[in-house]
Amino acid sequence: MASALRSPLLRQSLPTFRPQQLPRIQRAVLSTTQARRILPPLPQKIEGNVNDPARVPDPEPGHGSYHWTAERVGSVALIPMTIAPFAAGSLNPMLDGALIGLVLIHSHLGFDSVITDYAPKWRVPKSRRFLNIARNLALVVVGWGWYEFETNDVGLTEGIKRVWTA
Amino acid sequence: MALRLATRRFAAPLVLRRGMATTIEHTKGEPLSTVSEMTSGTSTPEPASKSTPIKDPSPSQQAKMKTFQIYRWNPDEPTAKPKMQKYSLDLNKTGPMMLDALIRIKNEVDPTLTFRRSCREGICGSCAMNIDGVNTLACLCRIPTEPGKESRIYPLPHTYVVKDLVPDLTQFYKQYKSIKPYLQRDTPPPDGRENRQTKTDRAKLDGLYECILCACCSTSCPSYWWNSEEYLGPAVLLQSYRWIADSRDEKTAQRKDALNNSMSLYRCHTILNCSRTCPKGLNPALAIAEIKKGLAFSG
Repeated sequence: MASALRSPLLRQSLPTFRPQQLPRIQRAVLSTTQARRILPPLPQKIEGNVNDPARVPDPEPGHGSYHWTAERVGSVALIPMTIAPFAAGSLNPMLDGALIGLVLIHSHLGFDSVITDYAPKWRVPKSRRFLNIARNLALVVVGWGWYEFETNDVGLTEGIKRVWTA
Repeated sequence: MALRLATRRFAAPLVLRRGMATTIEHTKGEPLSTVSEMTSGTSTPEPASKSTPIKDPSPSQQAKMKTFQIYRWNPDEPTAKPKMQKYSLDLNKTGPMMLDALIRIKNEVDPTLTFRRSCREGICGSCAMNIDGVNTLACLCRIPTEPGKESRIYPLPHTYVVKDLVPDLTQFYKQYKSIKPYLQRDTPPPDGRENRQTKTDRAKLDGLYECILCACCSTSCPSYWWNSEEYLGPAVLLQSYRWIADSRDEKTAQRKDALNNSMSLYRCHTILNCSRTCPKGLNPALAIAEIKKGLAFSG
């Protein structure tokens, strides 16, 4: 059909055909069935001219290098922090608290990466906002829960020990 | 002149029009969704079992037949689903590489088959495509000769398809341009003639300057599949590092700043598909790791 419309002869015999007037019914004829997918790829859109460079974002070390360094430092620090209480057998509440704090920061940053990956700001700005609020809320709720567990109950290390031997 | 104006005036509506490779001009206030499925063959292709196999025109006495399944999609028939077309060739009459088979199909069997190729020796990067599930250059990929094994050839994954095996690399090239891939200096060279470099400084560029920008690595990266609008992808980051590592370049800090945000660089999660697939044997993941290291210790 498209190739038929491309022939110059036919084009001249046709009346001017503006895209705004494209009837709904014709779109229905042209479209094919498509499986429902989460965030399917959009039709191609070129920002600006094809010869323009892609937009370079402003430097934001807080979301870039500092974020990355914090992630790595946290991950590395978690290894001795996880082993120490069990190896040493000490039940220092400060050590317990530090371990919980590190786990919280580690998962907070980890979820940040997941959200940045799967909910692009330009595509789903509202979901992105919602997910980030949920992430912050989760940090507060889980942190408060651990605080209660530490102050009014046995604490993380002792809890794991008990579950382990149960 | 009058005729040209007339054809332009009575041109087909944008929905049905398809340019060479790249832009859908949607300047007339037309919603992009109207062109959605017509312009990209994103749906799953029809299986090869539904197509009639096209046979070798002149098989020899002891023919060594091999079947190729090739992705076909024609922008002139935007309503047709993409399909897998079977071609069988006599390998005794075909060159050893996949590109030889493709060229033979185009010359002797089916002239409508479309693909990019130029140098046929792995230096131009035109014939990048997905062969048997691996992104590679068709000219560097031997045809597997096990009897009975069919080869499947697709365009580079997660790209907008222009036609058959031709992907649209506009965004890739725009991103390449955005990293300013050229020497930036404010001071003239001391001897007024050339910018000199020690041998050790020059050695830092080995493994970087060989990249031919075939886009095999970028289109093999899941992170680039999700976020190709903002994440630069391994090929462009390798090129970026090529200029960061260059001792003659004086804009290293600005180059690093341009990458220091959540999207451009840090969407790399060291999946390492890039290093595994590179047809030139380079290591884009290492280059990305070097950039991350440089950024982490310089602030």
